[in-house]
Amino acid sequence: MTGTVQTPSFVSRVVHHHLFWPVVALVALWIACGVVSPGFLDVKVVDGHLFGQLVDITRNSVTFLLLALGMCLVIATGGIDLSVGAVMAISLAVALTYIDNSGNGESATVALTAVAIALGVAAVVGAFNGFLIAGLGIQPFIATMIILVAGRGIALAFTGGQITTTHSAPFKSIGSGFVLGIPTPVVIGAVVFAIVALLVRKTALGMLLESVGINRTASHMAGVRSRNITWLVYILCGTLAGLAGLVYGAPTMAADANNIGQLMELNAIMAVVIGGTKLDGGKFSLAGTIVGALILTTLDRAVIIFHLPSESKDLFKAIVVIAICIAGSERLRDSIGLRRRPRLDSSTPAPKKTAEVAA
Amino acid sequence: MTAQTVSGHAPTDHTPHDADDPRWKQAGRAAWGRLSDRRYLPTFGTLATLAILLVVGQLRYSTDDRSFISARLFSNLFIDNSYLLVLAIGMTFVIISGGIDLSVGGVVALVGLVVAKLLLAGLPLPVVLVVGVLVGTAIGSLIGVMVQYFRIQPFIASLAGLFLARGLANMLGTTSIGIKDEGFASLASWKLKFGERPDIWYINLSMIVAFVVLLIAVYLLHYTRSGRTVYGLGAGDGGQAAALMGLRPGATKMWVYVISGTCAGIGGILFALYTKSGYNLSGVGMELDAIASVVIGGALLTGGVGYVLGTFAGVTLYGLILIVCTREGLDPWWNRILIGAILLGFVLLQRVLVAKRR
Repeated sequence: MTGTVQTPSFVSRVVHHHLFWPVVALVALWIACGVVSPGFLDVKVVDGHLFGQLVDITRNSVTFLLLALGMCLVIATGGIDLSVGAVMAISLAVALTYIDNSGNGESATVALTAVAIALGVAAVVGAFNGFLIAGLGIQPFIATMIILVAGRGIALAFTGGQITTTHSAPFKSIGSGFVLGIPTPVVIGAVVFAIVALLVRKTALGMLLESVGINRTASHMAGVRSRNITWLVYILCGTLAGLAGLVYGAPTMAADANNIGQLMELNAIMAVVIGGTKLDGGKFSLAGTIVGALILTTLDRAVIIFHLPSESKDLFKAIVVIAICIAGSERLRDSIGLRRRPRLDSSTPAPKKTAEVAA
Repeated sequence: MTAQTVSGHAPTDHTPHDADDPRWKQAGRAAWGRLSDRRYLPTFGTLATLAILLVVGQLRYSTDDRSFISARLFSNLFIDNSYLLVLAIGMTFVIISGGIDLSVGGVVALVGLVVAKLLLAGLPLPVVLVVGVLVGTAIGSLIGVMVQYFRIQPFIASLAGLFLARGLANMLGTTSIGIKDEGFASLASWKLKFGERPDIWYINLSMIVAFVVLLIAVYLLHYTRSGRTVYGLGAGDGGQAAALMGLRPGATKMWVYVISGTCAGIGGILFALYTKSGYNLSGVGMELDAIASVVIGGALLTGGVGYVLGTFAGVTLYGLILIVCTREGLDPWWNRILIGAILLGFVLLQRVLVAKRR
């Protein structure tokens, strides 16, 4: 756990902690799933490998987590990165095209080179975003929208408009293998999380990110190299998106540039926000981001467990996001704290408005 | 004020294309007058880009007996993009107020399916159309309440709106439902014909609706107290300046989302008229097309700056880019790269123009 977790001594402190509602939502979801499907919470060891629904959910959440970690840092600087879904598609297209052309997919060296090239390309795309935003001062939303629009086109150009499929056992293991009984993606996610957490919480970087997010000009005047930091977070976010693309696409070994990573940018932003990070920048929660990624993945799985039509997934997500946002909103917290009448007041909060405007 | 700008492109003009010339000169003179006014510079950049694309198109695609720049070109452009124009107009209100509405693409899909389903159920057409628009209004109101009363950031509130609308659309059906209602079909195919055989062009119902929405929006945003409040909200101080001016920013913050949702509802019906069907996957990424059009039209995403007619120019430019891509006969993936590249070029151009302001 990182420095964001405080030692809660009072109930009110627990309730007001930014992780309270997300964790409640996650636990409630898991319990609900456990009630409907009794084996849900079991974790078994089969052939020395961990198996179970929760393990699956954790494995699947790694894609969201990698995207959301990068996004979280970008959002901390007051920016946004809409290009991550497209970067996933580009990265996977580059890696699989390289493996396909090498003719020897089973070699570990080829697979590693493919990963390195793909991550390099993803970093370059991130640097391009950084150049537009830090170098030219273009608004992040618009700057990253350029890759969002063009990125899938670039990925399609790599694969020649086809869905590239190829074979490579070493590459495939990135998505479906095991390390010491733990699924490889989970290990990758944990290592990346540890690195990012150390980077931002054990060095000054986290504080500098937040200072840029709070006031770019002020932090620049105070001697923070705000431009370099902006470059850095977009490169980092792009690279992590590239890695997410590899982890996501490796099990199927098919680069479907049109569909891989579709709407992922919005899911990643959603994971970050569910985890308690505000989009205004200046404050972020890495632990919350993990919870957010787990909630989104659990929702995907819960739809199947509850025997709901898979089409209801988006509706489900919307309801949970709205519930978490409203539950965590200042307005509802105020009404709980001041009037000690939970929830019911939230539907009629209008009268307080006038005082605020007058102030 | 910017009325000259719109007549300069004369898509609704009832005269044949050879009357374009003096109007262009008029618009040119007006534009030169505007150059001294810094507020118009980003929009002027849009018009310059539009002019460049038109000239390039004229040079590359004109044949001896047919000119590229013609009433026919603009007629096709607005038949294909009237729904986008309506979406972008609603988005203009939201963006000028300093917010964003990501839900509109989902609303388009939901409204299309609601219309298709209700017509299949045998409800009368006028009722169905009104219900369709109100579906958009409802989603917009929900987002507005989240933003205004619960202080949820517009990006997230409208993102939830997007997933809600698309989720509901998915629940209604996952296959494309053709609309065979006779009344609806006659609305979709109704058009006024102008000109002679080679240069024939049309005005259809969608275009008329879009231009009526455009006029209402120009009036609302630029000539009313509420319009000024929208600009006041976008000033970046949470509406305090607007409140000090004696405007009432509180409810306006919610109303911009209601307006955008309603526009999305109208846009959804126009899209259903255009495709004569309802489909849960239609409108994917349409919110970004709308946002791109608004930004290309000179609005700043930070709020406070922008014009409805700028958005009109933005949508025109967006449609023109697509036409040029098609004329070049490129592979589909090159289209997207080209749109991205032109968006990039345009953002850079706008950046240079805005930089000169300082």
